[in-house]
Amino acid sequence: MAMLRQPGPRNAIPLMLLMLVGFAAPLLAVIGFSLVPARSFSLWQMPTLENYAGVFSGTNYISFVYSLVFAALTVIVLAVVCYPVALGLVRVFGKWSMFMSLLFTIPLFVSENVRLYGWVLFFIKNGVLLGTLKTIGIEPESWLFTQSIILFGMVYVYLPFMLFPMTLGISMVPKETRDAAFDLGATRWQVFREVDLPLSMPGITIGFLLSFVLAVGAIAEAKVLGGQRIIPVTHDIEIAFTYAQNWPMGSALSVLLMLVVGVLVLVVLRRFDLDTILGKK
Amino acid sequence: MTRSQSTIHGPILELRKLTRTFGALTAVNAIDLDIAEGEFFTIVGPSGSGKTTMLRMLAGMEQATSGDILLRGKRINDVPANRRPTCMVFQSLALFPHRTVGQNIEFPMKIRGVDPAKRKERALQLMRQLRLPENYYGKNVTKCSGGERQRVALARALAYDPEILFFDEPLSAIDYKLRKTLERELKDIHRETGKTFVYITHSLEEAMVMSDRIGVMQAGRLIQVGTPNQIYSTPTNRFVSEFIGDVNVIPVHIGPNGKLISDDFAAEFSVPKIPVGFTGGHLVVRPEFVRFLGSGDASENRLTGRVYNEYALGSRIQYQVRVGEAVFIVEKLRQQAYTGGLDDEVAIGWSGADSILVSD
Amino acid sequence: MMERRTSRRSFMQQSAGLAALAAGVGGLSARAFADRSKELNILCWEGYNSAQVLDPFRESTGATVKAESLTNDPTMIDRLRAGETKVWDLINVNNPWARKVMFPEKLIKPLDRASMEPYFEKMLPMFKPPYKWAMDDSGKELLGMCQRFGPYSYVVNTDKISRKTAEDQGWDLFNDAANAGKYGILDSADWNVFNICVIAGFDPFKPRGEAEVAKFTETAKKVFKNAKVVGDIATMNQALIAGEIDFHMTGGTYSASPARADGHQNIRGITPLKGPLEGGKGGISWIEVTSTVNNPDLSPLAVEFLKHVQDPAVAHTVAFAEGTFNPVAQMANPDCFKLFTKDELDAIQWDSLDEEMARSVEYDVVPDYDKLLEIMNSAKREVSGG
Repeated sequence: MAMLRQPGPRNAIPLMLLMLVGFAAPLLAVIGFSLVPARSFSLWQMPTLENYAGVFSGTNYISFVYSLVFAALTVIVLAVVCYPVALGLVRVFGKWSMFMSLLFTIPLFVSENVRLYGWVLFFIKNGVLLGTLKTIGIEPESWLFTQSIILFGMVYVYLPFMLFPMTLGISMVPKETRDAAFDLGATRWQVFREVDLPLSMPGITIGFLLSFVLAVGAIAEAKVLGGQRIIPVTHDIEIAFTYAQNWPMGSALSVLLMLVVGVLVLVVLRRFDLDTILGKK
Repeated sequence: MTRSQSTIHGPILELRKLTRTFGALTAVNAIDLDIAEGEFFTIVGPSGSGKTTMLRMLAGMEQATSGDILLRGKRINDVPANRRPTCMVFQSLALFPHRTVGQNIEFPMKIRGVDPAKRKERALQLMRQLRLPENYYGKNVTKCSGGERQRVALARALAYDPEILFFDEPLSAIDYKLRKTLERELKDIHRETGKTFVYITHSLEEAMVMSDRIGVMQAGRLIQVGTPNQIYSTPTNRFVSEFIGDVNVIPVHIGPNGKLISDDFAAEFSVPKIPVGFTGGHLVVRPEFVRFLGSGDASENRLTGRVYNEYALGSRIQYQVRVGEAVFIVEKLRQQAYTGGLDDEVAIGWSGADSILVSD
Repeated sequence: MMERRTSRRSFMQQSAGLAALAAGVGGLSARAFADRSKELNILCWEGYNSAQVLDPFRESTGATVKAESLTNDPTMIDRLRAGETKVWDLINVNNPWARKVMFPEKLIKPLDRASMEPYFEKMLPMFKPPYKWAMDDSGKELLGMCQRFGPYSYVVNTDKISRKTAEDQGWDLFNDAANAGKYGILDSADWNVFNICVIAGFDPFKPRGEAEVAKFTETAKKVFKNAKVVGDIATMNQALIAGEIDFHMTGGTYSASPARADGHQNIRGITPLKGPLEGGKGGISWIEVTSTVNNPDLSPLAVEFLKHVQDPAVAHTVAFAEGTFNPVAQMANPDCFKLFTKDELDAIQWDSLDEEMARSVEYDVVPDYDKLLEIMNSAKREVSGG
C-alpha cells in the first residue's frame, strides 16, 4: 500500500475506478450473461455454454457471416476509393493534406441515422434522384432496399476512418525517397509498388483495421438504406436484447463478435507490426 | 594541383542558357557550362543560389523553363529522370528505410530485372569497394550509422551504373571528422570508377578538397568557373573572394596621382597592374600573405596597427590586428608565430603580387 | 528518413485522437433517492412521454415527471421483472398483459374501484365496466385504465389496391406470389408473429400443433423473402407515399395516421372482412391499459395522473400527441369529441373505426410466443440477402 502514498497512483484512483466501473464492469456483465441459461435475467445461475452452441447450431451464424463479409467488402471498396483520394490530397495540398482529410470527418458531427435518411430521400422513388430523372423521361428501378446500397452506405459512413490514416500514411512517405527510386530507373508503377505502398503501409493498415472494426459493428446502413435486406450480427444482438428478451444469447453474440474482432486485430498487428513496417526492428 | 587530368576528355554534359523560373523568381539564370567526361565538377554557392534547382534539372527531376541540356551532344530536356543515364545521391540520402542494405543497393538492378544471384554478387562487390562489412548485407539501413548510410547511398547509385553521378550536399549533416574522411573516400571512388561526378555544396572548403573544377553560383548565375587553384588565387569578384574564407578586403579607388588609395587608411597600395578602366573597387589580401614587419623590413604595402588578439587554428595561428578602426586578419604557421605582446604596435605588410584587385 | 521517429509518434497521436472521436464518450447516470411525493416515473408507449401531455401535469403538480417510451410490451414487462418495479410508478401496455401476466406475477397493484370506475362509464360502449381487460380473472380487482386503442392489421396505398380489394382478399395478399417485392413489413416482433400465424391460416392466440408450427416456419420465410423492405413506421409510410411499396404488413390507424394527417388519405389501415381468428374474424385490435406498478414506494401522483388523462382536453391531447395518432375511449364524451376536427377524425379513420373494431379480435398473449419469435427471427436471417 506504500504505492498509494505516492501522489501519482493516488490521484489516478478515481480514474481507475471510473474505468473499472465504466469499462470492465459492463464487459464482465456481458461475459457473465453469456454463460447463463437462455432467456434468464439473473447472473447467479449454473454457468452453461448452451448460448454459444446455439449460435452455431441455429441460424445466428448467418448474420455473423453477413457482418464479416460486408465489413470486408467495405474495406476493399474503401481502399480502392480512398487511396487515390489520399494520394491526391497529399500531392496537391502537401502539409495541409491532413487538415483536408480531417474536413472529411465533419459529417461525423451529424448523426449517422440523419445522414442515412438523407440518402433515403435522395434515392427513394420520386425522390431527389429518381424524381429528377423522371422529369426527363428516365425511370430506372429504385436502388433502395438492396444489398448493394447497404455497401454504399457503409462505404459512405466509414470513409473518413480509412481516408484519414491513409492520408497520414502517404504523407509520411518522403518525397526524396520517391524521387530516388524514380531516378534509379523505376517506372511510376514500380515507385508506387516498391516505395509508396510499403512506406504508407502503417497508415493503410490502421485504416483497414479501423474501418473493418467499425464496419463489423455497422447496423444502421442495413436497417435504414437496406430495409433489413440483410441482418448484420449487431442487429441480431439488438433483437436478442430487446424483442427476443434473450439477454444470454445477445451476450454470447456480443462476446463472439468481440473475440472475432480482437483476434483479427491482434493477428494483423502481429503480422504487420508497425515497428517492422517502419524498419525499427 | 591534384587534378586527375588523365581522365578528362571532351564535354559529356553541356548546358546552354539553362534557365528555371518560379513565378517572378529566376532560380537559375541562363547558365552556360561544359562538364568534361570523367571530371569531378563542384557547384558551390550559398543556400538559395539556385544550385539545387540546377542539379535537379540535370537529373531530370525539374523541368527547365528555357535553354538546353545536352548529354554527349543530344538534347535530354524531355527525358525523364528514370530514363537518364544519371543518378543522384540526395542530401537526405533517400535510402529505402523498409529495405536492408543489400536490397537498397540491389534496387536499381532489381528494377532492371537483373538475375538475383548476379545482383547479390554485384552488391557485395560494391560493399567491398565502399568498405562496408559483408555481414551488413542483411542489415536494415535504419540501423546503420551516418557514415555507413552514406556508403550505402553511394553504392546504390553506383549499382545503377550511371554515366554521371550527381551529389546534392550529401555530407552537410555529417560531423567534421567523418566528413573529412568521406570527402577523401569520395575522391578515391571517383578515381576508381572514372565516372563524371557533379557535386553541389555550400562549402568551398569541401569543394576544394575534391574537385577538378569548381563553379561558384550566386543568385542563379555562375559567376566564376575554374580549378580550385584559380578560384583561390584569382577570384574575379568580391563575392568569390569572400566565399573562400577569411580575407582582408580594403575598399580602394584611384587617387589624384593615379595610385590606389583608400579612404580608410593613410597609405598607398601597390598592385602589379591596374586594369584599364578601373576607377574603384576592393583590394583583397589573404591573411596568410600578410607578414609582420621588423623595423628594417621593406614592403610594397605597409600599415601600422596593434595586435588585439590571437586565435590558435591547429597548425596555424590567426591574429587580429587593428589598424585605426579597421580590422586586419593575419595568419601564420606555428613555427612563424608572432612573438610580441598584445597591444604592441606592429607593422604589417604584403607583397603587391599577393594583392587581388576586384572591381565590385 | 531521419524524421521517421517523430512522424511516427505524431501519426500515433493523430490516430488515437480520431479513435477517441469515433468512440465517443459514454456517460454515467446516477439515480438520486428523493421524496417520491413530487416524482412520477412512467414506462409507456410513445405519446404519454410527450411534452404536450406531461408539461401541464408538471405545472399543476410541480412534480418531476420522467417518462420512457418503448415500442414493445414484452420488453417493458421484462424491465419490471428485472427489478425495475422500484423505479416505475405507471406502466402502459396492451390489454392482456395486466390481467394475464403482470397481476399474477405481482408486478402491478390494483386500483381503487370506487374512485376509478366512474371514468369507465363515460367511455365508448365497448369499455363499459366491468371491462374484461381492466379487471383481474376473478373480476374483483381493477387493474388499469383504458384510453388509446385501434385496429391493427395491414396498411395499403388505396391508389394501388382499392380498400374493397384489400378487405376482400384479406391476408392472402401476402400469400399471392404476384405480390412479391411489392410490400413491406413493419418491424414489430409480437405483431409480426400474429400476422404470420394469420397468413399461415391459424389463430395465433390458441394452442397449436406441429403442423401449424411447420406452416408458420414456411410462411415466415416466404413472407420475409418476398418483402421489399423491413423497417419502422416512418420507413413504411415513406415507402408507401413514394411508391416503393403498395402495402405493408402490421399496421393500422396507429401506423398510418402520421401519413394521413400529412394529407396522404390514400394511405389507409385495412381490417380484412374474414380470417382464421375467433369467430372467422380477420383483424386484430389493441387496447392500452395503464396500471400502477407494484412499487414499494409508489408515488401518490400515479393515480392523480391516471385521473388527469381522463379529462376531455387531456384525452384529446393524448390522442394527438407527437408521433402517432389514435382514437381514445373518452371520445364517447361529447365534451371530448367536439375537440376533434374533421381532419383529425380523417387521420384516425373515424369513419370506419366501429366496423373495423367489430371485425377484429383483441390482442392477446400468444402461447409459445418465444418459440415462434425464434422461428421468425431465424427465418429472417435465413432469407436475408435473398
